[in-house]
Amino acid sequence: MHNLGTVVSFELVRTLKKKTFWLSVLAFPLLLAAIVGLSYFSNKSAEDASDKLNQDKFSFAVVDRSMLVSPALVTAAQGRVVTNDRRAIQDVKEGRLDAVIIYPSNPADEAVRIYAKDAGLTKNGKYPSVATQLLQASVTSSIGSPRKVALLTSEPDVSVTTYVGGKEVKGIERAIAPGIFLVLFYVLIVLLGNQMLTSTTEEKENRVIEMVLTTVSARSLIIGKIVTMMLLGVIQVITIVVPLIIAYVFFKDSLNIPAIDFSQIVLDPVRMLVGGSVFTLGFMLFTGMLVAIGSAMPTAKEAGGFFGFAMILMFAPLYALAAIVSSPEQLMVKVFSFFPLTAPITLMLRNAVDNLSGTEIAAGLLVLALSSVLALVLAVRIFKTGSLRYDTRMSATEIFRLRRG
Amino acid sequence: MKAGSDALPIEVRNFVMRFGDTTVIEDLSFEVRRGETFGFLGSNGSGKTTTIRALLSIYEPTSGSLLVEGRRFAPDSGAKLGYLPEERGLYKKEPVIDTMVYFGRLKGMGAAEAKRWSMEYLDRVGLADKSGIRIDKLSGGQQQKVQLGVTIMNRPNLLILDEPTKGFDPVNRRLLMEIIEELSVAGTTTVLVTHQMEEAERLCDRVMMLKDSKRRLYGTVDDILDSYGNSQVAIKYRGQLPAQAKTYTVAGQSGGQSVLNPNNGTTVAQVFSELGSQTGLEVTDFRVRRQSLDEIFVSMYSQKEPSVA
Repeated sequence: MHNLGTVVSFELVRTLKKKTFWLSVLAFPLLLAAIVGLSYFSNKSAEDASDKLNQDKFSFAVVDRSMLVSPALVTAAQGRVVTNDRRAIQDVKEGRLDAVIIYPSNPADEAVRIYAKDAGLTKNGKYPSVATQLLQASVTSSIGSPRKVALLTSEPDVSVTTYVGGKEVKGIERAIAPGIFLVLFYVLIVLLGNQMLTSTTEEKENRVIEMVLTTVSARSLIIGKIVTMMLLGVIQVITIVVPLIIAYVFFKDSLNIPAIDFSQIVLDPVRMLVGGSVFTLGFMLFTGMLVAIGSAMPTAKEAGGFFGFAMILMFAPLYALAAIVSSPEQLMVKVFSFFPLTAPITLMLRNAVDNLSGTEIAAGLLVLALSSVLALVLAVRIFKTGSLRYDTRMSATEIFRLRRG
Repeated sequence: MKAGSDALPIEVRNFVMRFGDTTVIEDLSFEVRRGETFGFLGSNGSGKTTTIRALLSIYEPTSGSLLVEGRRFAPDSGAKLGYLPEERGLYKKEPVIDTMVYFGRLKGMGAAEAKRWSMEYLDRVGLADKSGIRIDKLSGGQQQKVQLGVTIMNRPNLLILDEPTKGFDPVNRRLLMEIIEELSVAGTTTVLVTHQMEEAERLCDRVMMLKDSKRRLYGTVDDILDSYGNSQVAIKYRGQLPAQAKTYTVAGQSGGQSVLNPNNGTTVAQVFSELGSQTGLEVTDFRVRRQSLDEIFVSMYSQKEPSVA
């Protein structure tokens, strides 16, 4: 691997010097920060508004046809119970009363009507708020049991324990760790795809490839570019993950992020190994395919169309997510599992939900290993020939001849 | 096969190159000797660039042996090569100095050494103040200077220049010639791939000409001019010059002056002998001129069947 280090350092440093790289890298964290900020200030202003509304007292009357509202609670809220709704509405119209709340005989089916003095678009919210609180408080007070009230007003906490062969197994917690490979694969491909394609065609478009190939072999050059892409991927992932961790640690409560019990996440070494292997082989296949496409085309622009088609194939399994997760015996799922381009995503998904048999794991890894090695070997050959085709793209026949050669 | 100082800088034996059904080079053999300037001649599409690419392992030859310093060329084979390809360019979006240092490092120089060399070169060609500027912000002529610098970094033992003056402005053409001469004096072996015959005649010790996928001419420039270049005889005379003669044909005539082309197989001495035997003709002045390499080239390419192998 003569000059591999030189290629990697040149490619890495020049990419890190580019403003466009940092713009694309920082776009996600900045967007995240903006969303976090908006969410934080939105929550805060909503709380402030709610507090203010609660402090904003007003005179009101209640007409209760449902017989569910507690007169004591109405009085405690500084309202009064009346029976003549027309008069009450007239009092509101003439300014003697701020609001009248009319509960129908069956509030579960019919609307509660409120006639009130206009307090502005935002402040008008206090009327339905008081009407709802009065009704709910009246009903729950009639139950007489705080436990029953708690059950009715919140979701019960349900815990599921499942067993395989007599041994307890975890639920969604089992999918989180191996599922990280799927997320990483997706992020790397989306973030690095175009960059890799541009990097492959750059020497050809700049007519510098012949000089380069007399100082470094095509194989070292390609591997150098792939290693650089992986390093850039790590940098991009760190740039995305670190703000997420910061957001979780420091803004968990203000952003209403549910607490995660990390002790419940299952690290199954076999499935982590399978996930890591599929991820690595899938990335090799992906980069090999990108180099081959980039080398066969005269410009990155022309290569983009073919790259888009390959991307659609790679992510096609996500459209069959339900079948892959719940019906792995379906023929479509089997095809997706062993067709090289769809295999990485399908196998990582199935590995995450643990519906891959040992035989399928072996067959899937074999298919991916063979196709990724073939893709890289073919990519180097296409690169050596295609990188000198400055104006025309290589035909399928020429590529087939190379494969045989 | 000899590798090292005993080996020839370039040795090609029975090289054949086919692309599909098309034969680009057929059984080509030649060698380039140490320290010489070798002209690789031929028209566009004659296979010159293909031969160089196969020699430098950019293409895989169909058959034959192509050796640089006694072994098949590889980037890590240790040969100190300077190569200026016909299709040339640089990393346009990178600063000049970064690009030069990168190529210097690829050619085996340390980063500091490559930077020092690059700055000295840029200073020599008047671009020292442009070292931090992106290459695509330079003028075409300035980019050519950088390209030349990249080519000769790390003092190559073997310099291969494919159509070196193509697209070069006169200033850079002169710079290139200076560099070739400097390196030649320092012992660098140079291969000049060109169809500019004047350049080849002026700079090269030996030349080879390709036509129809095959080698047609091969030898020193003088040998080729002597062997394949017909001489012309320009005379001034008094009297009547016969229009029909055994040893020559009249190529041009004006007043008392004519240009005579000796017929095939006829020497200049035989022409003068016949002129001397003409009654009523007195040659008052004469000049014998050899055909130039350019004229031989044109003559060679105008022949349907090769006369020389």
